[in-house]
Amino acid sequence: MNLERLPNEEKLSLCRKYYLGGFAFLPFLWLVNVVWFFREAFLKPSYTEQLQIKAYVKRSALGLLLWVAVLTTWITIYQHFRAEWGEVGDYLSFTIPLGIP
Amino acid sequence: MNASDSDEDIYNERSALVRSESPALPSYIPDSDLTPPNGTPTKRLKAGISRRPGAAAADGGGSDPEVEAEEEELTLKYGAKHVIMLFIPVTLCMVVVVATIKSVSFYTEKTDQQLIYTPFTENTSSVGRRLLNSVLNTIIMISVIVVMTIFLVVLYKYRCYKFIHGWLILSSLMLLFWFSFMYLGEVFKTYNLAMDYPTVGVIIWNFGAVGMICIHWKGPLQLQQAYLILISALMALVFIKYLPEWSAWVILGAISVYDLVAVLSPKGPLRMLVETAQERNEPIFPALIYSSAMVWTVGMASPNETQRSEPDEEAEQSDGRAEPPSRHSRLLPEDEMEEDRGVKLGLGDFIFYSVLVGKAAATGGDWNTTLACFVAILIVCVPPWTAPPLCDLKHKQELLKTVSPAAAQRHHEHPDDSFINPDCI
Repeated sequence: MNLERLPNEEKLSLCRKYYLGGFAFLPFLWLVNVVWFFREAFLKPSYTEQLQIKAYVKRSALGLLLWVAVLTTWITIYQHFRAEWGEVGDYLSFTIPLGIP
Repeated sequence: MNASDSDEDIYNERSALVRSESPALPSYIPDSDLTPPNGTPTKRLKAGISRRPGAAAADGGGSDPEVEAEEEELTLKYGAKHVIMLFIPVTLCMVVVVATIKSVSFYTEKTDQQLIYTPFTENTSSVGRRLLNSVLNTIIMISVIVVMTIFLVVLYKYRCYKFIHGWLILSSLMLLFWFSFMYLGEVFKTYNLAMDYPTVGVIIWNFGAVGMICIHWKGPLQLQQAYLILISALMALVFIKYLPEWSAWVILGAISVYDLVAVLSPKGPLRMLVETAQERNEPIFPALIYSSAMVWTVGMASPNETQRSEPDEEAEQSDGRAEPPSRHSRLLPEDEMEEDRGVKLGLGDFIFYSVLVGKAAATGGDWNTTLACFVAILIVCVPPWTAPPLCDLKHKQELLKTVSPAAAQRHHEHPDDSFINPDCI
């Protein structure tokens, strides 16, 4: 999909859909939104819809940062305390490494 | 007009064959600086693009040999660029497969589990028996493929689009979620990492959902290409794991033969699929084709199907630069309908090349075998898909009209002249 070829309304609609879709536990979608629409939102000469696209991109970036923070925290906690948690740790584990932790 | 000529301009089939009015510009291949601006075009095969200099477009007044030589040169240059554009995704896919094979032992472990498509075991005592079993496996596999292809063509002919879309969505769902889940699990086990279900859940969910969006709906082109490469690699890995050794090699050979038959023979299912799509002026389904440019054209030949590639010229837009309107107006009237076309290669090709190289990497211990296979595939398999062996007369006619009415007329009179048409497969 080449953004250059789309009319501005469609760009806005696409950006909005990606933004809304990200609420379904899809930070990756927000990341794609930010990267893809970054140039449109910030580096292009302005047009009517650009303000809204900017807003969506900013909010997607915010959501993304939030998710990254949450995930990093959780992963750190898990990796650090997994062995100590005993059964609960194993229950949560998808793969359990071999050897002594 | 002159100001806009650069390699970043739209270089699609129209502009490639319609000569620019500007004076000769140097291409980025040094030796083509020697090309005289208005002179007889040489037939050197260049690996890059150069702007066609010289006289006004499609004047039809050129002498016949000159026009024909000109067309051939354009075609040759055209084909060369396509080849290179296909190298990259094919290479990437193979790199992913080989990297996985070499590092994750899961995919090379011997398993007695086999796909239902290859019921005959290869753990037999005698060589003859094993050979027989592998041939039988191949026959079954190929019949399944033929039946499925015919089924798909029939569905397409009778416009059962919903069914086809549902089928494609189901299969890409499986690939994107289930196979990648297995893959991730195996990678973690190989590197002895701990991973918890919530994190894995989030990762797979994101990977799969964004993949579905990119492939079946709208998404950035590079991301879609990346996903297609990844699912081809996943599929190839599954084949490498579950196809028994000898069956795999026999199947590869048989698939190539079937491929040729299905596409070249007039009643071949793939050919019928392509022709039906052309008649209806529709693109072939998104999940089956890798394309280097997103949108398909309306009208001019866009034969895309599972097992073929198409040597369309990539027409990546120059980023952020408004097209000079005069450029569009000089191009032919159907220009509004024509959008970015790119080189297209069926995912089946990706998968089977990767299976070949992956098997070579798995069986042969060292890298020489793998590299040799890789180079062989790039040289032997990729160019033929970009050179257009298939061409029906209708498309030759249309294309020639765009280049020069004189040539079109000549072709009309002598339709049997072989002419490489970059617009066809």
